[in-house]
Amino acid sequence: MAFTFSTFIQQVINGLSLGSVYALIAVGYSLVYSILLFSNFAHGGFLVVGGYACYYLLTQWGYGVSVSMFGALIASGITAVITERLAYKPIRERTSLTLYLLIASMGVNIIIENLFVVTVGGRIRALPQNTFPTGVFSLWGGVTLSASDILSLVTAVIFLGLLQVFLNRTRWGLAIRAAACDIRTAGLMGVNVTFLISLVFFVAGVLAAVGGIFLSVRYSLYPQLGSITTKAFIAAVIGGLGSLPGAVVGSLILGLAEMLTAGFISSQMRDLVVYSLLVIMLLIRPAGFFGKEISEKI
Amino acid sequence: MPKILLEAQDIHVNYGAIQALAGFSLKLMENEIVSVIGANGAGKSTFMNALMGMVKVSKGDIFLDGYPLSSKNYKVVRSGLALVPEGRRVFAPLTVEENLRIGAFTRKETADLQEDYDWVFSLFPILKERLNQYAGTLSGGEQQMLAIARALMARPRVLLLDEPSLGLAPIIIREIFRELKRVNEQGVSILLVEQNARQALLLSHRAYVLQTGRLLKEGLSKDLLEDKDIKAAYLGQSA
Ligand SMILES: Nc1ncnc2c1ncn2[C@@H]1O[C@H](COP(=O)(O)OP(=O)(O)OP(=O)(O)O)[C@@H](O)[C@H]1O
Ligand SMILES: [Mg+2]
Repeated sequence: MAFTFSTFIQQVINGLSLGSVYALIAVGYSLVYSILLFSNFAHGGFLVVGGYACYYLLTQWGYGVSVSMFGALIASGITAVITERLAYKPIRERTSLTLYLLIASMGVNIIIENLFVVTVGGRIRALPQNTFPTGVFSLWGGVTLSASDILSLVTAVIFLGLLQVFLNRTRWGLAIRAAACDIRTAGLMGVNVTFLISLVFFVAGVLAAVGGIFLSVRYSLYPQLGSITTKAFIAAVIGGLGSLPGAVVGSLILGLAEMLTAGFISSQMRDLVVYSLLVIMLLIRPAGFFGKEISEKI
Repeated sequence: MPKILLEAQDIHVNYGAIQALAGFSLKLMENEIVSVIGANGAGKSTFMNALMGMVKVSKGDIFLDGYPLSSKNYKVVRSGLALVPEGRRVFAPLTVEENLRIGAFTRKETADLQEDYDWVFSLFPILKERLNQYAGTLSGGEQQMLAIARALMARPRVLLLDEPSLGLAPIIIREIFRELKRVNEQGVSILLVEQNARQALLLSHRAYVLQTGRLLKEGLSKDLLEDKDIKAAYLGQSA
């Protein structure tokens, strides 16, 4: 029994740590969805750009951790903005069917992935050992809390908090919330909608990079790392696409579900549980926990 | 001699094969209220959207103070036009206060908006009571008042209104039109588009009658109110 309880606590810690990384990624998905109403599958690509930028800034150019992270966030943010300008804007201007955007985003994801395969190769890399604190604290009954768990939780809280402040306390934040409700009318308020969309992509890209760096630390770095964003996407759907609190809640649920499954059933069952959760959610409440009912969208 | 504030010349707009505007021209003088009346599908909203840079004008020119108006939506708002769109389109999940604040988006960051809030509350006192309520919870009439107040927060030189009377009770319509008159007396020129021809003609100084994208008639509103054809076609059924 004692063993089970400590396993439970251990897996809750792991789950929250994983969930916090998902949350950073899922919020980016949801943010873009809330404005343009499509699921941007290139988000995984932005994340990979962030991971590699951090890796090369650290190893090749020898910058410190903070400069490298900052550089990675900017690189990913800019990639997101360029992607929107080159791939999505021309489509948006021609049609209001978001299906085309969805397909384009899948294409962009494949392009980014393969650009890395071609240029730096497909081999798996690890961020240098000393990048982040690696200490492990023993709690009780064998339960451990690693510095990287704490770091990812704290970072997620800080970034999501900053996002919240940006959306709720600034002029452009208000404009983004208005645009999420009705983008044409936001334009009527004198908001430069083209700039607003770029801004949203930049923010989503930055958040993806933070997630990418943490994933590179937790697992390792390779061109297909972005495929992990499928999980974050599922989290966003479970929470309700377009809702930021929903993305966070969905991510924590998913992280916990995965880790508890791994702890009590088996690690192989993780994905089965994740997809089952998705299917159940779609059957019971297709709009997700915090999603807008379809009638509200019109 | 009053000065021309806004001038649209020979405006053409197409939606694919549909020609929504086929050469419509209009002038709005400083401090004037002008209305455009016309039936469903006449092209009234299209005209408003063309002025605001929301639809592409395939031929024709628009001038403000004699200078060409930008075709970019946000620049049009910055140069002093504000539209109250058809169907109000308040931001339902935002509070009344936030709706008003986004209305002031083009104002300087440092601008003191207190005076503007006081102004719109003096026009529509109910908004002050509803300040922290979500706009989606307001009644139709209150939403229309909010949509107008939101546009006024931009301190426009020209206030454009697309069917503000749509779906509202006659008593609310009268209240709103009374306040529009006050807005105009405070120096804001108004361009009003309406199916409710009688209300529009009673408020405006001059009017244009639009029919399937073309001018049918123009003149002083008081003359059009007495016009035989207009009476038969547009004033018969409206309140
Ligand atoms: N986005 C669009 N795509 C295609 N056709 C359109 C579009 N918007 C308007 N139209 C067509 O253009 C014509 C003019 O429409 P518009 O909305 O300007 O009329 P309106 O005078 O505002 O009518 P209402 O009084 O019903 O609001 C109509 O025939 C309409 O069907
Ligand atoms: Mg209309």
